[in-house]
Amino acid sequence: MSVTLAIPSKGRLKDDTIERLAAAGIRVALDEDARSYRAAAPEIEGLDVILMSASEIARELAAGSIDFGVTGLDLLHETIEEASGTVEVVAELGFGHADVVVAVPEAWVDVDGMDDLDDVAAGFRQRHHRRMRIATKYRRLTEGFFTRRHGIQTYRIVESLGATEAAPAAGTADIVVDITTTGSTLRANRLKTLDDGLILASQACIALRKSAMRDPPEAAMVTQLCRMLRAAAV
Amino acid sequence: MRVLEPGRAEVSAAAMTFETDLAAALAARDAPRVAVDVLVPADPYLDTAGESLRRRIFLTRGESGEDLCLRPDFTIPVCLRHIEAQGVLPRRYSYLGLVFRQHRRERETEFRQAGIEDLGEPDVAAADARALADALAALATCGLAGDLTTLVGDQALFEAFLAALGLPAGWQRRLIRTFGDDVQLASALTRLSRPAEDRLAGLEPELHALARAGDRGGLSAIVRERMEEGGLSPHAGRDPSEIAARLIEKVAIAEARLDAAALARLKAFLAIDCSLAAASGELRRLAAESGVDFGRALAQFEARNAALAAAGVDLAALDYRAAFGRPLDYYTGFVFEIRPRAGGEVLAGGGRYDRLLTYLGARAPVPAVGFSLWLDRIEAIGGDTP
Repeated sequence: MSVTLAIPSKGRLKDDTIERLAAAGIRVALDEDARSYRAAAPEIEGLDVILMSASEIARELAAGSIDFGVTGLDLLHETIEEASGTVEVVAELGFGHADVVVAVPEAWVDVDGMDDLDDVAAGFRQRHHRRMRIATKYRRLTEGFFTRRHGIQTYRIVESLGATEAAPAAGTADIVVDITTTGSTLRANRLKTLDDGLILASQACIALRKSAMRDPPEAAMVTQLCRMLRAAAV
Repeated sequence: MRVLEPGRAEVSAAAMTFETDLAAALAARDAPRVAVDVLVPADPYLDTAGESLRRRIFLTRGESGEDLCLRPDFTIPVCLRHIEAQGVLPRRYSYLGLVFRQHRRERETEFRQAGIEDLGEPDVAAADARALADALAALATCGLAGDLTTLVGDQALFEAFLAALGLPAGWQRRLIRTFGDDVQLASALTRLSRPAEDRLAGLEPELHALARAGDRGGLSAIVRERMEEGGLSPHAGRDPSEIAARLIEKVAIAEARLDAAALARLKAFLAIDCSLAAASGELRRLAAESGVDFGRALAQFEARNAALAAAGVDLAALDYRAAFGRPLDYYTGFVFEIRPRAGGEVLAGGGRYDRLLTYLGARAPVPAVGFSLWLDRIEAIGGDTP
């Protein structure tokens, strides 16, 4: 019998997670070598703790290879189709706050909201012989917001794996969908967020992969851990 | 690369006959059959139908990184093939084969489709009528003649009505974008008929003043400066004068709102739902009552109906709904769909897509209309060779 919990492998997110788990009664002991990815929860028998990058945690939850994972809501929503119902957010953890937003060049003085962007996107092809391009690493969130929420179909997504905010100046995209905590990086790149351009207010969360395959002791343990995590959540 | 048509192991002899007969019947309508690849570039689909299609098609990546997909329809590959071959116009093509789509709630992913694409016919009304008459005739070939309902729509009438109401161009564009999507259209109408509160709240006073004065040059200069500050090339995407012009337009209509009379007329138009035989009379009555002129759009509509009647189609048996359309920007006018009278999924759908070929790279605009038949559905409800 064992249940696995994956936590972020580095930085602030890792430290905050360990602190929050301790408050929930789950003490995580790390390997003495700080570069190691091994960890344990010595007081909780049957709980394996592993360290992974936050994006990997979202992927492994989707794949069903871990039971619990601490990651960002943004990565969770981007990686897992919400309607699939396979992963459940057990608790939001109250740190790692950041917003996924739509941002356009400051020079687009005629664009303040999604209505404006709809109009610009619709006329784009006729003027420029191509669709308006959006740079983002959030393909699913972008498509959900633009198409399903706002009925905008006329755009293309340019996958960006880093420095998304630089895409308009680099000429690889016209606008961006990016994650930001203070907006300062966007402003430094002369981009402005739209009034109604908040796609997701993200924060760290602990998520559970739903599964009918767990044996009764595992299922009981999952229930118990959920109770502890919820009780400690803010 | 040329992939052989995948034969389904379980295809029965009866189904083979059904397909052979139908393919022959379509080709005999002056539309030679073409074959297209099963694996096709995905970009033309994502560019025309939008990114949301990504979730509904089967995508893969070629060795050199290009996105490929299993063809989700025939229209785009047939048109691309025509453009590549620099085919002579006008020209008609027929097709029959598998298309591939995925949907979360459905297990089925392969569907058989057949149809005709009619490219470059300058007599638009005649070509439209022919597409619908061909679709009905093809269904008759499959043993489905009665017990069908056919719904017809025409975006050109909607566009003409908006223009005749004298709505600002920006509003017209917005409403036209939502045409065919009743929910988005209703929400756009609601927003336009609300008072304009603070639509310009975030606008800097200097820009507001320039825009109100219609000073495109002054605005352009400011925008150009900001583009330089942001390291944006003025040629890579939206340019300063385009942004300035749109701001002027936005300011000009910010204080306006859709007045109650115009809204009522628009709603009266969108509510028209009658037989195609009665449609022209209804439209003329509405035009007279609200003092608007549909202009050329109504003449085209009537010419099409006349061509349909001449092709032996009973207009009294078809339905016209003014709000019926497809919210895809390359559909420009006439659309139709045919279902079983008892209800159920679409058996045949078609329409005019005059913008598609230029989107796909044709040098000059090509008027185009076509339709496709859903063979599995047709077979399931008992269509067969007579």
